[in-house]
Amino acid sequence: MIPVFLGVAILTFMIGNAAGNPINLIRLGLRNPNPAVLDALRHYYHLDVPVYERFVFWLWDLLHGNLGVSISGRPVGSQIWSWAWTTMELQITSLILAIAIGIPIGVYSAKHQYSKADYVITSTAIFGFSMPTFWLGIILIIIFSYDLGWLPSSGASGISFAWWGNPFLDQIAHLILPVAVLTYVGLATIVRLVRANMLDVLRQDYILAARASGLSDRAVTYRYALRNAISPIITIIGLGFGASLAGAPATETTFSWPGLGYAFTQAASNLDIPLVQGITIVITIMVLVANLMTDIVYASLDPRVRID
Amino acid sequence: MADRLLEVSNLRTYFYTEAGVVKAVDGISLDVSTSETVGLVGESGSGKSVTAQSILRIVPPPGRIVDGSIKFQGEDLLQKSEGEMRRFRGPKIAIVFQDPTSSLNPVHTVEKQLTDIITLHQHVSRTDATKKAQLLLERVGISEPEKRLKAYPHELSGGMKQRIAIARALSCEPSLLLADEPTTSLDVTIQAQVLEMLKQLQVEFEMSMVMITHDMGIVADLTERVTVAYAGKVMEAASTRDVFTNPKHPYTEALLKAVPSIKRTRTLEIIPGNIPNLIEPPSGCVFHPRCKYAKGICSREIPALEKVEDGHYVACHLWRELNLEGRAN
Amino acid sequence: MNRLGVRGASQWSVAWRRFRRNKSGIIGGAIVLFFITIAIIGPSIAPYPPRSYAPLYQGDAGQPPSLKHPFGVEESGIDVYSEVLDGARNDLYVGLAASLLTTLIGVAIGALAGYFEGAVSEVLLGLTQIFFVFPALLLILLFARVFSVLVFKGLGLTLIVLILSFFGWSGVSLIIRGETLRVKEMEFVQAARSLGAGSMRILFRHIVPNILSPVIVIATLGIAGFILTEVAVSFLGFGDANTPTWGLLLNEGFPFIRTDWWVSLFPGLAVVVCVLGFNLMGDGLSDALNPRLRE
Repeated sequence: MIPVFLGVAILTFMIGNAAGNPINLIRLGLRNPNPAVLDALRHYYHLDVPVYERFVFWLWDLLHGNLGVSISGRPVGSQIWSWAWTTMELQITSLILAIAIGIPIGVYSAKHQYSKADYVITSTAIFGFSMPTFWLGIILIIIFSYDLGWLPSSGASGISFAWWGNPFLDQIAHLILPVAVLTYVGLATIVRLVRANMLDVLRQDYILAARASGLSDRAVTYRYALRNAISPIITIIGLGFGASLAGAPATETTFSWPGLGYAFTQAASNLDIPLVQGITIVITIMVLVANLMTDIVYASLDPRVRID
Repeated sequence: MADRLLEVSNLRTYFYTEAGVVKAVDGISLDVSTSETVGLVGESGSGKSVTAQSILRIVPPPGRIVDGSIKFQGEDLLQKSEGEMRRFRGPKIAIVFQDPTSSLNPVHTVEKQLTDIITLHQHVSRTDATKKAQLLLERVGISEPEKRLKAYPHELSGGMKQRIAIARALSCEPSLLLADEPTTSLDVTIQAQVLEMLKQLQVEFEMSMVMITHDMGIVADLTERVTVAYAGKVMEAASTRDVFTNPKHPYTEALLKAVPSIKRTRTLEIIPGNIPNLIEPPSGCVFHPRCKYAKGICSREIPALEKVEDGHYVACHLWRELNLEGRAN
Repeated sequence: MNRLGVRGASQWSVAWRRFRRNKSGIIGGAIVLFFITIAIIGPSIAPYPPRSYAPLYQGDAGQPPSLKHPFGVEESGIDVYSEVLDGARNDLYVGLAASLLTTLIGVAIGALAGYFEGAVSEVLLGLTQIFFVFPALLLILLFARVFSVLVFKGLGLTLIVLILSFFGWSGVSLIIRGETLRVKEMEFVQAARSLGAGSMRILFRHIVPNILSPVIVIATLGIAGFILTEVAVSFLGFGDANTPTWGLLLNEGFPFIRTDWWVSLFPGLAVVVCVLGFNLMGDGLSDALNPRLRE
């Protein structure tokens, strides 16, 4: 984990210095930041010392939570929290839904291989990961927001929380479309994976033996087969979550969802280097944590990989 | 005459695959009496395993039992509903598979695999079930059973795993044990031990056994009667002694010749050719392409199962003319 | 069929026959061929040149789909149908080039990491893992933006391909490393070694040919993935603004999704069908080359 973190840190630092130092790069963005802000940044980046020392200083600051100041003047750290929370709201809801819906469908599809339902499911799934996530979002916005007016088209909450009556429902209303999109794409992967793994496991002798012991079909499928099939799926779900996090810029921009992804897109566009670096580091940490948790869950499920 | 425990009549189990219909079992009949061991012999692809799976009705899709009857203690199993069948699986009939590495679930402990079945069929608490499991492990000759219970299959040797698989099959004291090549994937020295153990257990548990194997040596050692199968059909069925001393089918003769013997110096004769395509089996007698005695009629007409004498049947057009070599030992 | 009239039983002919029977694989292959054709002849049959504002002067700006403009016209006057045709070759170029590059790098590093033991393998593996966890899209966007201001001529497709590949090779490498480890343990490798073959010979003569199957599948599926990534990058405005790509169209259509839905619909459909084609073909190849045993 640590080497990965360092790797990302180095890369982010280096790209920030692509034009010699971050200040030059910021200037190229032509946003004309406040001179006072530029001074603060010069200080933050320790431009008076050689490059390698600059990196150490920057890393030190980073680890102590000091992420500098964005070109707008506001400190990076304080904004990231609320953005991170908003992003997580979307990502985690979608993840849970995708798993909860995807696994039963995948199991059903495996058990009824070659049936019409299986065919429909696998076709829908393959469509799911052939389309750009954000495009699906756009189409849904066109249909449900503009044509039908049922759902809001942007933001995480409406003006004065007006949608559907009260603030809580308002939040839900805003969540529906983005979550639907992310869940659908997540479903596509999970259904295919579960189906493939279940097909493999159901062929095994120990499943035949379980049936031969008098266990009911439901017990064999869920308590035994699924339990065996699930481990490799966990890893991929974990990786998929990381990928989804990394792909947040596109989805969030489509819905103007005020999360890390959306902020990153604006920041990168404006060449707001401190902000960009800060968000990259934070997202990397989130991905690493997700991977760690995946590893833990995996080890607890499959006794063959436990570290004594 | 002893009671008939199991009567399989004209069983046909076909697999409906994308490549065609695989006739894995195409008219196999078999019967077992109480406390008897019957051998089911043949090469791989002869339909032996699928027959065992059919008896328990656990044939995986795209396989289906399409014809025949399977009578167990007088009841026709093919007429039973799935719920009724489940009460047979374990307490009445049990199966041991060939490869213990794949027949034991890798993510469950030994204890869980045994107690799950015990608690399913018998109304006992988990602790009682564990005690029973431990006793079972002792009976199959596993030392330190308390330790082994907590282990996972991948931590154990092949021989131990197979003993556990056998223990699992015996956990509900079935009347009939289907042993599908139980020693084929074990080391030779362990093979002998496990076979001895099976013989003993059969007596202790008062079980009947169907010993599925391709090894005539095992047949000689354990069985009282034998059915020889090829490409899903019965070639010959007789008492073990008759099959060895007086075989009437060329395939049986060939199988006997393929077993090495220490006593006589004899060249091992292999059976030329390959197992047939079960989607499009050869015309007439299924064995005729590989039979050194084959004549014209063999490729035209399917031979019916004819009676040689009481308890000895053969499916061959030429059995009266042929003078086949048996084995004195 | 060779001279003896016997059907070839080589691994490839068997796989090809199996692929032919796989319905989805064939459909995928047909779609891919279709798009390759469009890529080649697209600009020749497009009614308007790339990035042309001609319809504006004809008074057709912002028109919904019609016979004259089958996919409608953007507010700026660009004909969507022509742009989709023109963009096909660019999107395919990025997808194919990036996939080819990442496959080459990934196979090289993965095979070396899998075959050798000790320090070399550890370092390569570590490097791969580090790159693998990078939040790819973020860094791609960042790099694209920085390079677009630093590089004189603007971004250009090739630079995009390089950036995509830089962050994309690690996945391939991990899979190939796994495959190499698997094949390395097989007996014919040990046999080769026992007959005196050296490492390089073993690697190239024995191991690589046996991992070609997954490589082909990975390369095909990779094309799909990279096209999707490029579309996302262009959509967010980080691509090359002068080269017509489907993502760029989506970017231009986004501010107007309320009124000019056609600018968002048709380029997106093109992406979906094209990527679907590669995914189906990849699936078909996977089934053909690594058949699952059936009863």
